[in-house]
Parts: sequence; structure tokens; C-alpha cells
Amino acid sequence: MIPFQVQLEALLASFNRVETFMETTTHAWGTVESIHFIGLTLLLGSIAAWDLRLLGMMREVPVAAFHRLVPFAVLGFGINIGSGSLFLMTDPDQYVYNPAFHLKMLCVVLAGLNVAVFYVTMFRRVQVLGPGTQPPALARVSGGVSLVLWMTVIVCGRMITFYRPTLCRPGDALGLLADCIVR
Amino acid sequence: MTDARGLYSHRTERMFDPFFRWVEGSAASVWVNQSPSLFAFPGILAAHTIGLGLLAGLNSALDLRLLGIGRSIPAAAFMRLLPVMWFGLWLNVLSGIALLIAYPTKALTNPLFYLKLGLIAVALALLRAMVGRVRRADPISGATRMLAAASLAAWAATIAAGRFLAYTCTRLTVDLSCR
Repeated sequence: MIPFQVQLEALLASFNRVETFMETTTHAWGTVESIHFIGLTLLLGSIAAWDLRLLGMMREVPVAAFHRLVPFAVLGFGINIGSGSLFLMTDPDQYVYNPAFHLKMLCVVLAGLNVAVFYVTMFRRVQVLGPGTQPPALARVSGGVSLVLWMTVIVCGRMITFYRPTLCRPGDALGLLADCIVR
Repeated sequence: MTDARGLYSHRTERMFDPFFRWVEGSAASVWVNQSPSLFAFPGILAAHTIGLGLLAGLNSALDLRLLGIGRSIPAAAFMRLLPVMWFGLWLNVLSGIALLIAYPTKALTNPLFYLKLGLIAVALALLRAMVGRVRRADPISGATRMLAAASLAAWAATIAAGRFLAYTCTRLTVDLSCR
């Protein structure tokens, strides 16, 4: 794991132009962060509507109808892969060695697997469900798992600041004050 | 360069220092900003982001529907999501108040904070107007689409204002500056 992290850090650090841009442009970091949060909102909003229907809310709406929002979740995810990569290329060590970031990426991968399993095993059956129908138990589980995983991704994302390897740690009140609140 | 904030910091701001100092000395404020517990500042911040995702996220889904995407979803179906949006709103009112109690000087001396509150008021008024139109089952007119587009813009601006609060503050507490 450690050699992999070292290689990954070196790879990310090789994008010098991104780092220079992010560090020298006024408000670049805040702007990219705003975009990252707008992407988060788009992603969670569209996914939550779909997951809640799978869980059994809004049964008068056919499941297929809510599927029309999925492209917006994909758009939000794409925006966040792009904006998130800029953070990684600017301060690779702050993410590569950060346990909150590791858990965040694990949850993103698990959410991806959950969606893949859903599409392969039950999408066809669920898609044809008309108004008033309760999705099968496994589809409900899939919706619940997706909702929980994406919320965990958000929580871990916010925890990244508090688990930065060099700047501040939970329990370190002074570090928290100086670096984790202002930034 | 003399800007509005410079004048502001010399007059109005100092006037409220005794109040800020009183809040910052309270047990609630000290717990939120100094407790090593992840449920203190970090947890409240995370809850604030979940609330944002639920309220602004589901509201954006409604906006997109009114703008013409996903026409096979009856607009009325979104009324069933309103309780989830209200949950997000209340989560953020409460977590927002907790964050404000933790760092009153930081937020209240930053003009951007008031812009953010104003944008939230605008976004909620737009949501209310859209809900009224959907409930009356009005056909989706150009005016409704304008409301939806304005709603998307208001939430995006709210998010940006919220993010920039962290980068534009001048005073962290009564006795500490942000940089």
C-alpha cells in the first residue's frame, strides 16, 4: 500500500500547471470548491429522489419516470470527479495519506458496485413497475444502500479537513482553530 | 484602498464585540468549537452539508422537471418530496445556528453571510411560488420556467456564498483575526 501511495502522490504532483493555477489564481480554490458542492447537490438530489422511490415513497409515480433524473446524477458525479481531481493535483499528500479520503473513495466504489449490481440484476424488472407498485425487497435494499453510501461520501468529504496528515487533527483544539476552521 | 468592509469593521463591528464575546464564552460555543468529539464541529458541519444536499438537491430536481427534463414524472410527485426538503431545511437551520454560536464573529462580521441568508430567503420564496403553481396544477408556463431557472441560480449562489465564507472572513473570534 505504501509504495502505491508514494507513486500516486508523485503522479498527482506531476501536474504542475494545475498546482500553479490553483495556488496563484485569486479565489481559484474557493471557486472550484463551490463547483464541487454544486455537483454534490446535483448528485445527491437526483439520486435521493430515485432512491426514495425505490424505498417505496411516491408510489403513484412509475419507477421509470424517476429514472429520467439519473443523467443529472451522472453529470453531478462528473463535475465532482473533475473538480475533485484539481484538489488532488494541487495538494496530493493531503489526500493520499488521509484516512477520511480513503473511506470516501471506498464508499464511492461501493456505491458504484451497488449501482452496477442493480442494473445487471434487477433494473429490467424494476423499470416496468407501474404506478402504485412496491419495488421488490432487493431493489429497496439497493435504494437504501445507495442513499446511505452517498451520504457517507459527503460526511467523509467534510472530514477530510479534520484528518489532514500535516495540518490539523481532531482533538487538537489549536490546530482545529487555526487551520480547519478558517480554510 | 478603502472599501465598504474597512468602514464596517471600524464602526458597526466593534459595537457588537461585547455580544460576540458573551456568545463565544458560553458553554455551547466552547463545546462546538473546542470539543475533540467528531460530533461537535466536524459532525455539525457534515450535517449542514447533508441538509444542503437534501434541500437544494431535491429542489433542483423539481426545477429541472419544471424546465422540461423528465416530463414523464408528474410534477405533483415532487410534492411528496417536500417533507424531505423541509427536513433538510430544519437540519440546516439548527446546524447553522450551532455553527453561528461556535463562531459568531466570523459569520456576523462578514457581509457575505448576510448575502447568503438573503439568497436562501429568495430560494425559499421561489420554492413556495413553484409549489403553489404545481398544487393548482397550472400548466407549466414561461413564468414557471423562469421561477425554476431563478431557483437553480439562487441555490448555486447560496452554495458559492457559503463556501466563500471560509475564505473571506476577516475575524475568526473577537480576539483572533482569520489570517
